[in-house]
Amino acid sequence: MNIIKAGSSGVLLPDLNIEFDCSGTDGGHTFISHAHADHMPRSKKSRVYCTAYTRALMRERGFEGTAQVLEFGTPLDTQRARITLYPAGHILGSAMVFVESERGNVLYTGDCRIPPSPASEGFALPGRRVDHLVTEATFALPIYKWDSHEKLASEVRSFASDSLKNDFAPVFLAYDLGKAQEIMQMLAPLNRPLQISRACYNLCKIYERAGFHLGSYETYTSSTCEGKILIASSHALNNGFPADVSKKRIAYCSGWATGTTRFVGPSIDKMIPLSDHLDFFELIELCKGLRPEKVYLTHTPNASVVQHYLDNLNIDSRLLE
Amino acid sequence: MSDTFRQWAEAVQQIAEAPDTPVGITRCATYLRSLRTDKGLQLAARFLDERIFPFRSGKRVAVGSRTYSTCAAEFCEIDYEQVFKPCKKALGNAPDTIEKLMQNIEAARDRRSSAGLSLSDIRQNYERLSGLSTRTVKKTLLKSAWRKMTPVEINYYIRLMRGALETGLSSQQLASALAEAFERDPSRVRHAVTITGRMGRTALLCKHDKLEEARFFPFHPLPPMSASPAKEAEAVDLTRYVAEEEFAGLRTQVHLSGNRVKLYASDGTEVTGPFPDVTHFFLSRPIPDVVLDGVICAYRDREILPGQLLRKRMKMKKKRPGADMLEQYPALFIAFDILYHKGELISGKSLSRRRQILEKLSENHSVPIASQFDVRDRDHLKKLFIRSLSHGNEGLVLKLRESAYETYGQPSDSWINIIKPAGSLKTVLMYVHTENGKHGRRHTGYTLGVRVREDPRYEEEFIPIGKSGADDLGDEETKRLKKRIRDLTVEKYGPTLGLIPEIVVELEFDDIRLNKRTKANYVLHRPRFSIIRWNSDPVETATLKKVENLYQKKINQNRLKQDENPSFLIHENYTSTKD
Ligand SMILES: [Zn+2]
Ligand SMILES: [Zn+2]
Repeated sequence: MNIIKAGSSGVLLPDLNIEFDCSGTDGGHTFISHAHADHMPRSKKSRVYCTAYTRALMRERGFEGTAQVLEFGTPLDTQRARITLYPAGHILGSAMVFVESERGNVLYTGDCRIPPSPASEGFALPGRRVDHLVTEATFALPIYKWDSHEKLASEVRSFASDSLKNDFAPVFLAYDLGKAQEIMQMLAPLNRPLQISRACYNLCKIYERAGFHLGSYETYTSSTCEGKILIASSHALNNGFPADVSKKRIAYCSGWATGTTRFVGPSIDKMIPLSDHLDFFELIELCKGLRPEKVYLTHTPNASVVQHYLDNLNIDSRLLE
Repeated sequence: MSDTFRQWAEAVQQIAEAPDTPVGITRCATYLRSLRTDKGLQLAARFLDERIFPFRSGKRVAVGSRTYSTCAAEFCEIDYEQVFKPCKKALGNAPDTIEKLMQNIEAARDRRSSAGLSLSDIRQNYERLSGLSTRTVKKTLLKSAWRKMTPVEINYYIRLMRGALETGLSSQQLASALAEAFERDPSRVRHAVTITGRMGRTALLCKHDKLEEARFFPFHPLPPMSASPAKEAEAVDLTRYVAEEEFAGLRTQVHLSGNRVKLYASDGTEVTGPFPDVTHFFLSRPIPDVVLDGVICAYRDREILPGQLLRKRMKMKKKRPGADMLEQYPALFIAFDILYHKGELISGKSLSRRRQILEKLSENHSVPIASQFDVRDRDHLKKLFIRSLSHGNEGLVLKLRESAYETYGQPSDSWINIIKPAGSLKTVLMYVHTENGKHGRRHTGYTLGVRVREDPRYEEEFIPIGKSGADDLGDEETKRLKKRIRDLTVEKYGPTLGLIPEIVVELEFDDIRLNKRTKANYVLHRPRFSIIRWNSDPVETATLKKVENLYQKKINQNRLKQDENPSFLIHENYTSTKD
């Protein structure tokens, strides 16, 4: 099976005319795993397949092409292959793409998380043989091992309540899509009002339509943000949000909040290693469980470390670049 | 029950994560108060001060980063090159990396079970480690210790060994924590720590309300008193001050007791080795026990030579400088203060009184001492200042006659520095150095460069000329700089950011020094931001040629000999050796 990289994050199966996470070509079948910016098609002319929620989220984020909905577990047959989506556990709508063909079966994970984010449709593997596993390896070092969701949720809640108790506005530094909603879910039991950006607000409405309870929230206004919990992207924070709040404590919520060396810009009071990707050990387990003929790694700064472990397991691997 | 190392390590972690210094001090105080035994308190306080062994024991744990890192890799059964190194690169330091690996990797978890080691156990363990010499036996000992520890303990066990706790608290702030813990007068605790240098013993004195028993002994360098900058001089009553020349040399503290002499630089590091001529002078005379503050100058043919010539000696570190070096750059210690005399700490006495004692000592034993001048008026001050510069010195220090020797706290106007206006150059910002603080990543320093574009010796456009902080910029300017840096960052080397060279900074400095290890061969001494020239083009940056010319001009300056009105008094038949 020929598997190649296209552009910054797209992957192509030229033998099957199948494409993942890119703008697509004429005559190809293009599948979008989820609505994060680095996976979304950029062209107006794109014609792609994705889940219903990925389509809704992409539309909200400015996608103007054509997207055809493919539900989880419902196969699509092309001349040369059968394609089925499986939930990836990363964010709402996120899907892994399973391709069955005469040339072998390919599982493209997109971004995925095991155990799945509670603010997603869960995680499920196709119950078939996977010959080629194309997977992200964002956190490809054994220093990355996530705490349980319960533990992280209680860290998030106590950061918020402790800050409020000491008259500081708790600010959670997190992306607008996925991470923000997961934190809101964690905070919902506190019953405290929350303020978020307009962009985030619109995405939250889609999560609620999908049945996720995010507590009470409103868009950020400087006159009324006093005493409320705030969620901001690092982009917003770098550009002055929420500048008017002088007494604030900032929690950086990311897998990169492991250890302390990543440059994140503003002053951080608390690091919460909450990730929407799988950790190193889950990644190795996934490969071990599927035992594919070959693992193709993408989205990784440390492919050589994963490959070292896969070599020891006698699993063939390659970095897609 | 004994006080455990685990409690200590977890407390240190809590202190390091405190949102600000007062909270850090309070957390530290709470922990210190919680200790049950005297032994525990003593060790905990000493360890917090990053010392393992008692003061003056001379013992040292010599375990290099490669030893404990490869040892940790073996303990976790991971490949050092292929796995450990990339992990360390991602986290930026070995102890944090080792903590994570110890916690995450099953093989390591299976091997460890927390045994509740006491602080004394750890002290004994370090003691054993200090007696070992080969890497293999050190590793065996490390592994057997780690087996009984939690990941956080292992992290701080290594950090303590390296003297890199990064609690964010200085010795003086630890003293404040002790004062808070036992409800004592903070200034008394700080004084006790300063004069004894012993945090563990001070903790016990604090607990048992016996701070008056704190004693100074020689061979613990006292923090040198510093002078505040000249702006204060405008307002002062000159009649209350005396003036001394600010010598172009190396600020040095001489400790002499019994048959031993040691020299300390202003940061407390020992510099006895490079100056056998100075130590010989002190050992060849029946001088009583003293601690002298002063300066080592390169002095030949009655001329004070440029201070940078001494730096060649400093580079020798452990090796004794050769005869030619001693002859070419003879070193002379010139005392300007006395802090300890015949078994008594006299830093609390007035300058006038200390000067009397110093003059007497000089008379009896030919110790060279700085000249003191009464200052009649501003004009006279100016004359003295110009004379100092023509001696090859750097200006004046005004000293308040009735002032005590201040060993801690901010410089007051007891001593005022009037130094030559600093040089200044237009430079370009090349790298930003960052560090993890309590508030995330912050900028800790800036590397600035000069232009070598037309210089046939270099390929690049700019090369580094100095590293500066940027403390005096003000909030607005700091914010603007931060934003601009974010836009211009193109590379990351661990904690260092590489920038497109666009930001032009007017840099002030005290001196230009030769440094063969740098690309430019020169570095600016004490560079600091004067102003950011937002509208300047990087092509306006000073060239390396200009730096070289400035340096040559300084070296070749004509120096006034020490004949009339000398900078210091030296006995006619001064020799550094016994005849
Ligand atoms: Zn994603
Ligand atoms: Zn992604």
